[in-house]
Amino acid sequence: MRNPLKIRILIAASLLLMASTFAADVRMSIEPQLISLLDRAVLKIEFIDTQGNAARIPEIEGLRIQYQGQRSETRFVNLKRSSKVIHTYLVTPSKVGDFTIGPITCTYKGGQKEVTAQLRVIKPEDDPKAQQISEMLFSHISTDRTAPYVHEPFHLDLKVYIRDGVQIDGNFSLRGGIPKSGMKGDLEWNITSKEQVERDGIIFTVYTLRTLAKTLTAGTFTFRPEVQLNVIIPRQDRRSYGFDDPFFGDFFGRQETRPIVLDCNALEVTVLPVPMELRPASYTGGVGTFGFQVGLGPKQVKAGEPITLKMKISGKGNLNQITPPTFEADPNFKLYEARIIPSKNPNEIIFEQVIIPISDSVTNIPKIAFSYFNTQTADFRTLTQGPFPIHVEAMPQQAAQIIATVPSSIRQETEILGRDIIYLKPIPKKWKTSVALAKYRTKPFYIALAFPALLLLAMAGLSAHRNALANNVARARRQKAPKAARKNLRRAEHALRKKDETAFYGELWDTLTTYFGHRLNLAPGEITLSIVLARLPQQAEAIESLFNTIEQRRYGIQSGGEKKAMKNLLKQTTTTLRQCERVK
Amino acid sequence: MNPMRLLILLAMLLSSSSSYAEQIPDSKIDLQKSALFLEAQAAYDGGDYAKAIDLYKKLVEGGVANLAVEYNLANAYFKNGNLSDAVAHYRRAEYAAPRDPDIRANLRFALNAAGATEPYSSLIKRFLGTLSQNEWIMVAIGAYVIFTLLLFLGLLIRPAKRTLTKLSLLPAAILLISAGGWWHWQQLYTQPEWVVIKSGTTALFGPIEGSTAHYKVPLAALVRQRSTDAKGWIEIQYDGKNGWVKIDDIHRVSP
Repeated sequence: MRNPLKIRILIAASLLLMASTFAADVRMSIEPQLISLLDRAVLKIEFIDTQGNAARIPEIEGLRIQYQGQRSETRFVNLKRSSKVIHTYLVTPSKVGDFTIGPITCTYKGGQKEVTAQLRVIKPEDDPKAQQISEMLFSHISTDRTAPYVHEPFHLDLKVYIRDGVQIDGNFSLRGGIPKSGMKGDLEWNITSKEQVERDGIIFTVYTLRTLAKTLTAGTFTFRPEVQLNVIIPRQDRRSYGFDDPFFGDFFGRQETRPIVLDCNALEVTVLPVPMELRPASYTGGVGTFGFQVGLGPKQVKAGEPITLKMKISGKGNLNQITPPTFEADPNFKLYEARIIPSKNPNEIIFEQVIIPISDSVTNIPKIAFSYFNTQTADFRTLTQGPFPIHVEAMPQQAAQIIATVPSSIRQETEILGRDIIYLKPIPKKWKTSVALAKYRTKPFYIALAFPALLLLAMAGLSAHRNALANNVARARRQKAPKAARKNLRRAEHALRKKDETAFYGELWDTLTTYFGHRLNLAPGEITLSIVLARLPQQAEAIESLFNTIEQRRYGIQSGGEKKAMKNLLKQTTTTLRQCERVK
Repeated sequence: MNPMRLLILLAMLLSSSSSYAEQIPDSKIDLQKSALFLEAQAAYDGGDYAKAIDLYKKLVEGGVANLAVEYNLANAYFKNGNLSDAVAHYRRAEYAAPRDPDIRANLRFALNAAGATEPYSSLIKRFLGTLSQNEWIMVAIGAYVIFTLLLFLGLLIRPAKRTLTKLSLLPAAILLISAGGWWHWQQLYTQPEWVVIKSGTTALFGPIEGSTAHYKVPLAALVRQRSTDAKGWIEIQYDGKNGWVKIDDIHRVSP
């Protein structure tokens, strides 16, 4: 190894090995590579030891490729680190054949690579004839009216064909394919039948879904609903894709469901407008085929009394868009607005109208015409009822009752409300002006309004403080200390004025013990000079001097009878305690 | 006691107590107003409803905001055969005094005479509409004061703290209800009420000329606005149905 050439070769080899360990690469794989028409495969593009975005896979006829997402993997093998970014795609076939996916250009840090994958799609085992999914599962839409009129209801029938042998989970969902504008409301589909039919020698189970459609405008409407159903595929002979497979079967992996959107023909419905020409004056918007009946009662009334007309329109068409037939203006009648009476029969609409003959010369109620556009014959039809003979007696010589119908849907009966409106209100005691601010909108009121809240806040603060002191004796005593000291000092001053030396020194001593007892939260027996000095070292010298002087003079060890000396001591005590108070 | 009555009593107490703070009006101007009012009443009694309308309107235009003027003006309009304006003024009077039986009866009478349905209200809305917005505000203020007072006393009287705190829940609840009442009336600003002023008004399915007719709205019917369109269309709700009408066919009632 001493040969320098050998060492160089070894280093170069090691570097090459390391370089090869971290060489970036892109791979594409499809699992499994052989599937049946009802199956699907998972395509993966792996960026090894590099980073790369999902590649855009071109459309391939007969295959639907959907991107599922990406994940990362990091592995350590023989102390070497290897990382992968894996992009997953779900491949769903719609016809049999051999397919080549790619070449796809994958761009990564430091380069580009073209990758390809092969997939073979074969016929399902139990259906060797089918070449495409659309031969096994498809739908067909049709209508009973190829050219309906605006507002005319027409049926749409959607037949879902499922080849015999293909299992579905029984749920259909319809998504899209219905015109978004011009339709009246959302279509509500109902399964009306399930039957087995033979078509080109193949047996299909056919579900028929039906809905009633209505358009608000004329024009061409294209219907191509997308029916999605879930096909159940047994899994026992299939290879599991593990966690890469975005769809799992049942818990034990015996079967899985695959959502399939069925092919459907496009149905074009040309909706015709209701013609304007030859439109009768009594046309009230009806489109369809209708019957018209009118009933009234009572037929014998006094002038000013109401007669109720009931107009029933029945048949097929846009019943709920028909406005009530109108009377021609007749000065002999007072007419009220007609209103709809709820009916249990969905194929009829009933209007009720109150009509009041105001003269006893009236002998009949004029004929009532209802015109509609007949969609079967493509022309306007007018149905007429009446005239209706009535007997009207003269009005008695008294104020006419004011009668009105209560139009609420709850109370349909004709009701006598009263003879007249309630009389005027008396003159107000005070005149209010609209410009005057409401009392609660004035500035003083706002200020007054804040007062209770502020009071409550202050009280809450005080209470919190009180509670804090009650729960913290040391703090409470600390706060009490200066006040207690001042009280004792005042007593000492009093004693000084009386020249009572014993009492003076006694009060001074009490001042010290009380202050320091409270200040340092000490029990009376615990207040000693050493403890006080230990706790308040900042003022040690002054405190010690004060303690000693007062104690000596108190017990007569030191002379202190002079008033000036006493005054000085009082001053010294006050100063020292004040300084102690400043110590935190 | 019925809680509703309690609320009303509270509102009345507060409004009466605060009335002391009112400024004393100028007696000369008041005399003029009173004279106009009495003159209008005489015109009404004499069957000259047009003159009564003019005089009452003069009071309203002069800034008078008394309920009696609004109500009497509505009566004059009704007698003069103008149902739309009558309904509008009855309704405005009802906003200020929702419990006044005279206003309610006459409004109902006018609506029925017009063949229009009465505006539907749910039970909650009827409850919230029992007091006017001003009354709800007064109740709220009263409840707020009592609430703070009870809490204050609770802090002050320690043994009674728990009881007083519990008791304060009642004004707190009233405060919340009052907020609901205020909000109920506030809706009149966002979804105002309108009265139909044009005979034969038809609500259409869409805010466009020539759109399919949906239903007819009687003259003087009270309708509620749902939405608006920039081109002068209003989406209204009447008798539980929505439809579009032109703004020229209706007149705003709400403030």
